[in-house]
Amino acid sequence: MIAEFGFGVLVVSFIVTMYSGIAAVYGAMNKSAALVESARRAQLLTFPLLTLSSLVLIYLLVNNRFDVAFAYEVTSRSMPTYLKVTAWWGGQAGSLLFWSWLLAVFTSAVTLRKWDRDIEFLPWVILVSSITLTFFLGMIVFFENPFTRFWLVNGSVAPSMFAPSAAATVFTPADGQGLNPLLRHPGMVIHPPMLYLGFVAYVIPFAFAIAALATGRTDDRWTRITRRWSLWAWLFLSFGLVLGGRWAYDVLGWGGYWGWDPVEIAAFMPWLTGTAFLHSVMIQEKRGMLKQWNMILIILTYALVIFGTFLTRSGVLSSVHAFANSPIGPFFMGFVTLTLVSSVALLIWRWPLLQSETEMKSMLSREALFLLNNLLFMSILVVCFWGVIYPLISELATGQKVTVGPPYYERATGPLFAGLLFLMAVAPLSAWGHSTLQTLGRAIWKSSAAAAVVTVFLTITYTQNIYALVGFFLVALVLFATGHEFWRGATARQKAQGENFFTALANLMGRNRRRYGGYIIHISMALMAIGILGIEIFQKETQGTLAAGEELNIAGYTIQYRELASWNSPGEGVNYTRAVVDVYENGVYLGQLAPRVDYYYDAQQNMTIPGQRSTLRDDLYILLVDWQPVSSISATFKIYVNPLVNWLWIGSILFLFGVIFAAWPDKDPADEPVRHRAVRDNRQASAAD
Amino acid sequence: MTETTTPKRGVPLWAQITIWVFLAGLLVLVGVTLGKRQQGTVQPGDAIPDFTLPLFSGYEYEGKSEVKLSDFRGRVVVLNFWASWCKPCEQEAAELEEAWLFYEPSGEVMFLGADYVDTEPEARSYLKKFSITYPNGPDMGTKISQMFRIRGVPETYFIDQNGALYYVKVGPFTSVNEIKTLVEQKLP
Repeated sequence: MIAEFGFGVLVVSFIVTMYSGIAAVYGAMNKSAALVESARRAQLLTFPLLTLSSLVLIYLLVNNRFDVAFAYEVTSRSMPTYLKVTAWWGGQAGSLLFWSWLLAVFTSAVTLRKWDRDIEFLPWVILVSSITLTFFLGMIVFFENPFTRFWLVNGSVAPSMFAPSAAATVFTPADGQGLNPLLRHPGMVIHPPMLYLGFVAYVIPFAFAIAALATGRTDDRWTRITRRWSLWAWLFLSFGLVLGGRWAYDVLGWGGYWGWDPVEIAAFMPWLTGTAFLHSVMIQEKRGMLKQWNMILIILTYALVIFGTFLTRSGVLSSVHAFANSPIGPFFMGFVTLTLVSSVALLIWRWPLLQSETEMKSMLSREALFLLNNLLFMSILVVCFWGVIYPLISELATGQKVTVGPPYYERATGPLFAGLLFLMAVAPLSAWGHSTLQTLGRAIWKSSAAAAVVTVFLTITYTQNIYALVGFFLVALVLFATGHEFWRGATARQKAQGENFFTALANLMGRNRRRYGGYIIHISMALMAIGILGIEIFQKETQGTLAAGEELNIAGYTIQYRELASWNSPGEGVNYTRAVVDVYENGVYLGQLAPRVDYYYDAQQNMTIPGQRSTLRDDLYILLVDWQPVSSISATFKIYVNPLVNWLWIGSILFLFGVIFAAWPDKDPADEPVRHRAVRDNRQASAAD
Repeated sequence: MTETTTPKRGVPLWAQITIWVFLAGLLVLVGVTLGKRQQGTVQPGDAIPDFTLPLFSGYEYEGKSEVKLSDFRGRVVVLNFWASWCKPCEQEAAELEEAWLFYEPSGEVMFLGADYVDTEPEARSYLKKFSITYPNGPDMGTKISQMFRIRGVPETYFIDQNGALYYVKVGPFTSVNEIKTLVEQKLP
């Protein structure tokens, strides 16, 4: 009964969502504020409805209700409760519901803001949210229903929502298949929600952009309202990407964090345009320029979110992440077409309203360098997009399938990423409006000299690889130039206000959160670049089969095989096989590592857990690949040495801090003009601004 | 991203046409591919038409530089699609070889490796790295993979003694036992 209830609530929310879209657009056409208000409330209602439906699904998952097909596919009796809850997003049907629920969270939240000063946006924002939510709920209700149950009809079992015939009885398997062990990793538990949050959150800036186009109110109001939304969306998306990398590093067992897999690229593409948008929107706010471009970027970001999700979920692209062959393809294709065609049409219609207010004066000004930054991001996007779409073109045109692999992406994007690092160092030093080579040169020469010294030092002590040295030089340049900015600002304030250095630094940062948050992010990116350079250029690997007492040598490390044990843990439904190796570096004993292979009985699948020794200099990463039955005690190991990779994770933690620092809803000087006006009008600025 | 201060002008017609043509082209491309993917791979139970796999030198089978599926009537054939650039393939490479060594003496099972969209030097070093010994060759012009409508690599097709497909594995095997269990289904 409870499954039917969950499905019923789902259907009701589908209808309510559809109603809110229709009422909003009808209300806008007929200037009926009451109808728009009704639409707003309907939109608000989707949140409790979908929460209820989701709670029902979680109840079914947690209580071993294997008569429900989705619960059978993703849970089993031996799974701990928290994993049964997170199994919610462990399969196609559940993750679509999860996605819809998040969407309802965001769209309901946005209807709660104070709309006084932008009431004309309201119906259009509701319309865009409602179309998106209607589509996702439609996909669940008609194609991928997580509440479908197993029915026994004439001795055969078939999944169906309702009893297929009067004689049918519910069929309950004894145990479920269990979540794919690869997904039972803490990184995987939070990686999808973060990524979905990032994806879903971009619907808000997109909805406001469409509202601005539809109403013709194309000043920078929509960018001001959505600035924080897009920053949070960007945070979630970035963090989702990083967590995915960490998960791959820990679980997939190929000693890497990023494989240029189509699904990874699909999530990376909106990040590229989203990052470009964060920068270029500043130019619109400060200089009234690039309005058209910002519109293109936000539409592109959202389109890439939808398009990427479609490509990977419909099975058009094959990938390790691909969901099983799914019936949602054509329906999804319709939604993609609707999104792309209507946004492009709106944009072309309103293009003349989006002219710039000023002209670019100097090729070295801040806005020019930002534009260059956008150009680089777009170039990386083109490389990625081409890599994803080219196999489809070649298959259609020549009948031959071609796939591009990591080397293509690495070669094509490497120089572009280097260019971005360079801009990261230089652009913050340039002035808005006007800069010359002289002013820029004066601002950067000290940092360049310091970076050159570091590079020379590294050449002598660490590596002669020219690509690595260029990379390290750029990283050092970013760190010095950005550090210098902090130092310069703080000492200036110290002099002017008579504060001590640290108070001055804290006050400086507190009053310019966005700017200094941005700098922190730049520093974190430079740190991450160190890790990427390390693993891309210096990774070493070896593989060998060892009998007990035998050794393998790699990059100064000696790994000596000790013993291997295998045991069952019936409570968890897992068989563990654990090898123990001694690790020496240049003859000095460092300790033991224990790579394992866990076999999950319910899912009939192995999970390889590496033995890792992690330092700031490098990671020693040992995988147990194979072993002989206990009689002939020998085992095969694959060993990676990944230099500097830890900096990637250190950088990402700092990154998280930087974005939260910049996005925290508090005093923001950029808000001031709005706020002053608001106070004068005796009205409060919305908290969501 | 043009920056002009000229009087308000719309998007020029040629640009509009370009945009729409591009968009339509993209949608058609994706739509057609979607249509193809909806067919899915060859289904278990389907009889597999005969095909010829040319073999890498050094990986010949009984002195022959190419093999046909029909050469192996009466044996279970395990056809594995892989590529040297494919990371998940590395996960199963050692397992496949171990399973092959296990069944080779009996002569009841044949393992074939079809190298998908690859270059020979990389493919050779991959085979060497994992000490693969069963017959392997390039899937020239992706003919065989298209016949099976594979979605990616790795994928493995299990064909019974009469040349009919009986199982499709998408993604890497995680243990030798998984391969053995599937093979045993058709062994007496």
